[in-house]
Amino acid sequence: MLERRLKWLAGLILIWGALIFCKLVSLQVVHHRQYAGLARARQEQVNKIPAPRGTIFDRTGAPLAMSVSTQLVFVNPKKVPDLGVAADIFSMVLRMDRADLYARLEAAREDGRGYFVVKKKATWEETERLRGMGFDWIQIDSGSERHYPNGPLAAHILGGVDFAQKGNSGIEKVLEAELEGVPGQERSVNDVKGRPIEALVESEPKPGAVLTLTIDERLQFAAERELAAAAEAKGAHCGSVVVMNPQNGEILALASYPAYDPNLAPEGSENPEARLNHASSVPFEPGSVFKVITLAAALETTQLRPESMIDCGRGSITLFGRTIHEAHGGYGVMSMADVLKHSSNVGAIRIGMTVGEAHMHEYVRRFGFGERTGISLPAESRGRLRSLERWSKASLPSISIGQEVSVTALQLAQAASIVANGGLLVRPRLVLKKGGQAVPMAAPVRAIKPETAMTMRQMMEGVVLPGGTGYPEALLDGYSAAGKTGSAQIYDVAAKHYTHYYNGSFIGFAPLNNPAIVVVVTLNGTHGNLGFGGRAAAPVFHAVATEALRVLDVPKDLPEKPARPVVAGNAADKDDLAIANLGSREPNILEEGEEDAPATLVTGPTVPDFKGMTMRAVLAEAAEKGLPVIPDGSGLARLQNPPAGSALRQGERIRVRFSR
Amino acid sequence: MATMPAFLDRTNAGAIAASAGSRAARLDKDSSRLRPLPLDDVLFYSKKVDNSRLERAADARARGACWSAVGAASVLLVLLTGTLVPTLAGRLEGYKIETLKGEERRLLDERRTLELQEAELLSPDRLQQMAEEQNLVAPQAGQVVHLDGNNSGSAVALAK
Repeated sequence: MLERRLKWLAGLILIWGALIFCKLVSLQVVHHRQYAGLARARQEQVNKIPAPRGTIFDRTGAPLAMSVSTQLVFVNPKKVPDLGVAADIFSMVLRMDRADLYARLEAAREDGRGYFVVKKKATWEETERLRGMGFDWIQIDSGSERHYPNGPLAAHILGGVDFAQKGNSGIEKVLEAELEGVPGQERSVNDVKGRPIEALVESEPKPGAVLTLTIDERLQFAAERELAAAAEAKGAHCGSVVVMNPQNGEILALASYPAYDPNLAPEGSENPEARLNHASSVPFEPGSVFKVITLAAALETTQLRPESMIDCGRGSITLFGRTIHEAHGGYGVMSMADVLKHSSNVGAIRIGMTVGEAHMHEYVRRFGFGERTGISLPAESRGRLRSLERWSKASLPSISIGQEVSVTALQLAQAASIVANGGLLVRPRLVLKKGGQAVPMAAPVRAIKPETAMTMRQMMEGVVLPGGTGYPEALLDGYSAAGKTGSAQIYDVAAKHYTHYYNGSFIGFAPLNNPAIVVVVTLNGTHGNLGFGGRAAAPVFHAVATEALRVLDVPKDLPEKPARPVVAGNAADKDDLAIANLGSREPNILEEGEEDAPATLVTGPTVPDFKGMTMRAVLAEAAEKGLPVIPDGSGLARLQNPPAGSALRQGERIRVRFSR
Repeated sequence: MATMPAFLDRTNAGAIAASAGSRAARLDKDSSRLRPLPLDDVLFYSKKVDNSRLERAADARARGACWSAVGAASVLLVLLTGTLVPTLAGRLEGYKIETLKGEERRLLDERRTLELQEAELLSPDRLQQMAEEQNLVAPQAGQVVHLDGNNSGSAVALAK
């Protein structure tokens, strides 16, 4: 009896053990992979380590474009066990309207959607609370979003990104490979509550490279502001401003009008021109600003000199059945310098005819026209310059005055830099540093002789001085400047004739002897006399150049105009008359100080009148009287400061401006 | 051999012996009890023995064996502790590290967000508007403004 019982007991224990053993074999041998996988899925989690897109800074370190992390909460409505519970949880944690969320979740499930975004920009605290709940149907993904903190500022340079955070225009597109970050991946072991215990980094994240651009946020803002104001005032439908350092090709500002906000997605009602970069992608006929190239070619390839006399035909010239008129009245015989100063079409054509087709074509190419500048912007236009074989008989005179050729504002800036820096073609560039490493500038190429560049600078100075087409709009206070106006009639392709709408433009640089900036302004679609380059674009040059020289802290090389009162509301200085007597708008640097100083305190030697004297005579007289003189320029004395007859204070020096 | 009923009742063996007569009656009352086997009473009879005057003889071998066992147990304990404590500490530190990693990422994100806000606050357009509201204008190039204290509070500090 007992033994039978014991046998039964032993049998049951054996069967029990056998069942356990079988189950263990099933778990650990037969279904090992399956259960191991399930355990891993439960305990291990693969996380993406975010690698933000590279930040873009301006040259002063101000951020222009940056990415911030976002947390995306989403669910598969089909896998949510209870939509009501889900709506309760989300409305509580994410602070959303429960009824609205429930309705949307229900609609998504009924539509059979497998992906429903609950919240796009959830905070860390919110996502941590959701993770802590441990529901496998709540999914969280981390991403990033691009922001442009200055809104439309430099939008055409920066460009934008698409929904996948890939660059689709501007620098964002051209330097996508550098800016794009590569996210890393880590595998973490979690406890039962989903908290990570240990993480193994499988691949390190590679953040996008930080870019430092050559542009200056302050100049960019000033350029865009002045351009927009001028375009609206003159009725231009588009325009551009380029500010460039002629010595190293750095673009300090590049503005295009109309502008857009890259933070906002394009809308159907948006002006399509707003997304175009008019400075680099839209070529136009330059008009008279191209005479700079014509005259530079003449100086290099002919015997013509600035004082060479040119017959300007009293206002018109007829060549190959086409009569070309002056824009500013008729001229007789004038010097080549005056041809540029007054922007004589007939004179420029005659000079161009002297240069000849081959030389003209060569020098247009040397100035960088007809080819891309190579700037880091997409869709850069190379402009249009026909090959020499395709030139007609009328091409040479047309190109001499900036017709039959199309250029971009960027190319004009590059060409003006050649004159400004002493004859070197310097490629414009936008990227100063890439990932903290300075980007070397391309080696400059000699385009014209230094003496030619200097002569051109002097001739271009005449444009902004009295009698020039850029006077007085382009004259700068305290700085010498040079420039050239352009007013090209817009060609109507459909009607096949030139309209009375203009591409008003101005190219200029300052200071004259060691230019720190080149500024190119174009306004497309201006109308009437006020739409000419000298009236529409030159004021923009004045405003932008003044701001740029101030911001860059360029030393003044001329006496200032009488300063405006320090305290708002003060009356204008009546002593301006002393300056006016000199027949010039040249400023008086000390007017402001004299205004505040008591007259009785002014003692010292009387300043002689140097007006009309040569430099030798001025220096001789000053030496005789023991007066310190600072001569500036060459030729005859035109301006002086302090004015003649005033008392020279102790330590004060007399500035005398000479010109021909 | 002791049976289960006898074993369970062994503490009552003396009482059983003393009251053998009442056993039959008790069995009659408690039908669930198994009947004792033969000689159960003899085998489980407890006799009182007085060992108070006996002394245990010193056994050096047994003591050595005892200390060896204690030593072995201690070594085993140390080994186990040495093995488990680092693992446990590592796990606890893992929690801390992962928490700190998450905190670091969160702070980095927060910093980027704050940098963005700072950049938006310092945007030239906003500064221009604020300057216009306060009647401030940009100074001229090289302009020196002497702060002599004569300006009234409502006066503009800088002007062209």
